[in-house]
Amino acid sequence: MTGDAHNKGSDSTRRSFLKASTALAGTALAGVPGLADAQSPPKKHPKRGGTLRFGTREDTIGLDTHRNIIYFVSTPLTGITGGLVDFDDKMQPKPAVAESWEPSKDLQTWTFKLRRGAEYHNGQTIDAESVKWNIERIKDPKIGHAFTRSVLADVERVTVDDKHTVQFHLKEPHAALDINLIYYPVNLMSPGAVDTADTHPVNCGPFKFKTWRRLDVTELVRFENFWETDSEGSNLPYLDGLVGRPKKEDRVRLTALRTNEVDLIDNVAYADAPAFKKDHGRTFDTWPVPQVGTAMMYFNLKNGLLSEKDNPDAHLLRQALAHAIDHEGIHQAVFNGIGEISKGFYSSASPWHVKDIEGWPKFDPDKAKALRKKAKGGDERLTIIANDTFPYMQQSGEIVHAMLKDAGFNVVLEILPGPVMLEKQNKGDYNIDSTANSYRLDPDGWYGRNILSTAPETRRRNGYKNEKADQIILAARKEGDRAKRRQMYADVETLVNRDLPMLYTHFVPLMMASNKARVKGYNVSFSGPWSYTGAGMRRTWIEG
Amino acid sequence: MLAYTLRRIAQLVPVLLVLTVAVFGFVEALPGSVLDTLIGTEGGDDAETREILAKEYGLDRPVHERYAKWLVRTVQFDFGNSLVTRRPISLELMSRIPATVYLATVGIMLSMMIAIPLGTLAAVRRNSAVDYTAQVTSLAGISIPEFWFAILCVLLFSLYLGWLPSSGYVSPFEDFWGSLQFLILPAAAIGFRQAAFTTRLTRSSMLDELSKEYVDTARALGHSERKVIFKYTLRNAMIPTITISGLQLANLLGGTVVLESIFAWPGIGRAIFEAILQRDYPLIQAGVLVLGCIVVVMNLLVDLTYRLLNPRVKFA
Repeated sequence: MTGDAHNKGSDSTRRSFLKASTALAGTALAGVPGLADAQSPPKKHPKRGGTLRFGTREDTIGLDTHRNIIYFVSTPLTGITGGLVDFDDKMQPKPAVAESWEPSKDLQTWTFKLRRGAEYHNGQTIDAESVKWNIERIKDPKIGHAFTRSVLADVERVTVDDKHTVQFHLKEPHAALDINLIYYPVNLMSPGAVDTADTHPVNCGPFKFKTWRRLDVTELVRFENFWETDSEGSNLPYLDGLVGRPKKEDRVRLTALRTNEVDLIDNVAYADAPAFKKDHGRTFDTWPVPQVGTAMMYFNLKNGLLSEKDNPDAHLLRQALAHAIDHEGIHQAVFNGIGEISKGFYSSASPWHVKDIEGWPKFDPDKAKALRKKAKGGDERLTIIANDTFPYMQQSGEIVHAMLKDAGFNVVLEILPGPVMLEKQNKGDYNIDSTANSYRLDPDGWYGRNILSTAPETRRRNGYKNEKADQIILAARKEGDRAKRRQMYADVETLVNRDLPMLYTHFVPLMMASNKARVKGYNVSFSGPWSYTGAGMRRTWIEG
Repeated sequence: MLAYTLRRIAQLVPVLLVLTVAVFGFVEALPGSVLDTLIGTEGGDDAETREILAKEYGLDRPVHERYAKWLVRTVQFDFGNSLVTRRPISLELMSRIPATVYLATVGIMLSMMIAIPLGTLAAVRRNSAVDYTAQVTSLAGISIPEFWFAILCVLLFSLYLGWLPSSGYVSPFEDFWGSLQFLILPAAAIGFRQAAFTTRLTRSSMLDELSKEYVDTARALGHSERKVIFKYTLRNAMIPTITISGLQLANLLGGTVVLESIFAWPGIGRAIFEAILQRDYPLIQAGVLVLGCIVVVMNLLVDLTYRLLNPRVKFA
């Protein structure tokens, strides 16, 4: 790495220096609408070897992959994780540690047949007992992260049929348990190495853990006995190793890529993405990820001005707010014209997208003003909160704050750190929350956990309740027909856009970039680098 | 001098005790709880889970009980485990402190290497071109924000010229020469800014000293100008410079969060900042306590340096 640092970026010119200086001084870079896809699938024959240096915005906060959210886009440690089920680039479940699986007719028992010969990184066989142990450990509230536990909320117990067969018994029928088990976030670790889970985790993913210094470096090496092979029967992954370098600031990461200190980065800032692709497209590949999440304004329906419990005109006020918010303004100002405005949870790139959703109230400042004046509490103070961790949440909060001010609302904005946000959400000490939720492979992961009135997160966050929506969500959970399910969720979206417990604003896109000369075979879809059979980090190799 | 040193070390105890109470109180008063971080979202925030986790992490006990327990362990040099990473805090700190000490020490040394000759020259050749240059340069150093100067350095030396890496860290114990390449830009960013203050201070101290009678006496006795400046005047003028540099160094140990972000430098400042964001109480407490100790020791060393510079200084 040290030697590479001396390599002058091949496209470094006086003009690029001046341009970068100008950008840093705050001048907006010229925008180029849209992002073309990166290079077509590699034609060169894969090479085994090489270490990929990955610059990320985030780092894991701990090593125990059950206790911590191993965020699937940005956390290098994700490379060590693996689970029963994978998915392909169409987001369809694919065999991983489980070779096959089948639900019972009533969708209440799921049987998984495990791959023979699959191992943890310490050589321990992945058998049914160890899978059972993992699920029980994740479900333990003292250990498992709440997000991870929530995807297993319907699992009542796990039983072992034989060494290679494990059964999940559910409290209620569920058509998408297999999707929930996809290795983010339900990952498997070796029971024999549980004592070192916080210091030296032993999992079953494509890479083995070597070292970690928080916010400095994560070093992983290839797991030679990883179960996946390529079409020629060669073991995956191709890379010898992976070095994660968390660099929180977006432009620091981008500079590190341009100076050849890292090979691949995530989260190119929206402000930089179009110009970077235009100016440096010959040297660097760019990888647009269409939707890693969905941004929205959550309205607090538990209490306060926007809640029917405290204000009979709460719905009218929420409509006024919706009419005051210009989605196109958010699209341009926050996302720099990249990605799509959202009317529902799934973007046009998702298999769960539905076109004919009844949208939210259109931007109409005059109508917003009229409704605000008409509604009880229209002159009272509203508080917007936004998490300080993610720039787009802050920026969306700022621009919505300005739009609401323009419409005559008495509104304040508070940008807060995570724990304070959580406390305010728990206590209902806010009116509007500028937030986002990560992409859910199965819609039940969103609607069943954030719209369903009985779901813990709905109760915690905004207290929305619509009996019709509840009925549809519960019915969709048991529906095996994919097309029917999709339509059912579209009906829920229509109800959401009418009731306005939240206002969808924009899909959260992400752009990764890599050194064209060095990084080969890389490709991404929704979930960033990690989660694929046949793509992502497992199929990547280093040239030269 | 030994008695003085021991007395000063003994005085550290109440200072550090007050510091621990202040830090504990401050952390307790922060809005938001580590339990919120641990519980997260989507399904865990019920009273039962909260109770289980509070008990697991000892957060169900009253504040004074937790403080007493923490203090007893701390005096045995056991900081416990981070609530978030669950790894020993001593491990977290020991992986961070060397990086910060390395950066701050080299930064201050660089600053003194610029400031002392420049300040001295500016004073000796008062109202000359050298003096004006020194004053303008130091004014620019004070006026330019440190982060902006750092970013310009990165653009020029990393992106445009390709001479130095733009960010990262290599331990000097692993690869000394390699580590210097990563150190130069952040240390220069620190050094330039701190030198701006120290240059002005050295100049004004030197002017003060040069106007004193002992300087005229030394000249009247026929000592060379070089001897008058370097042997007599500069040594006296250095006392405020050393004091300020010592305080700057102490300040830098915990105060380079912005530069650590720009250069992805894994220092203690950023670790404590992240710990505050996550309400990782034991890590915040241990980090601040260790930094407090370092600051107090730095002050002691500065005081002891006075004696080296001027043997007539008496320790009371």
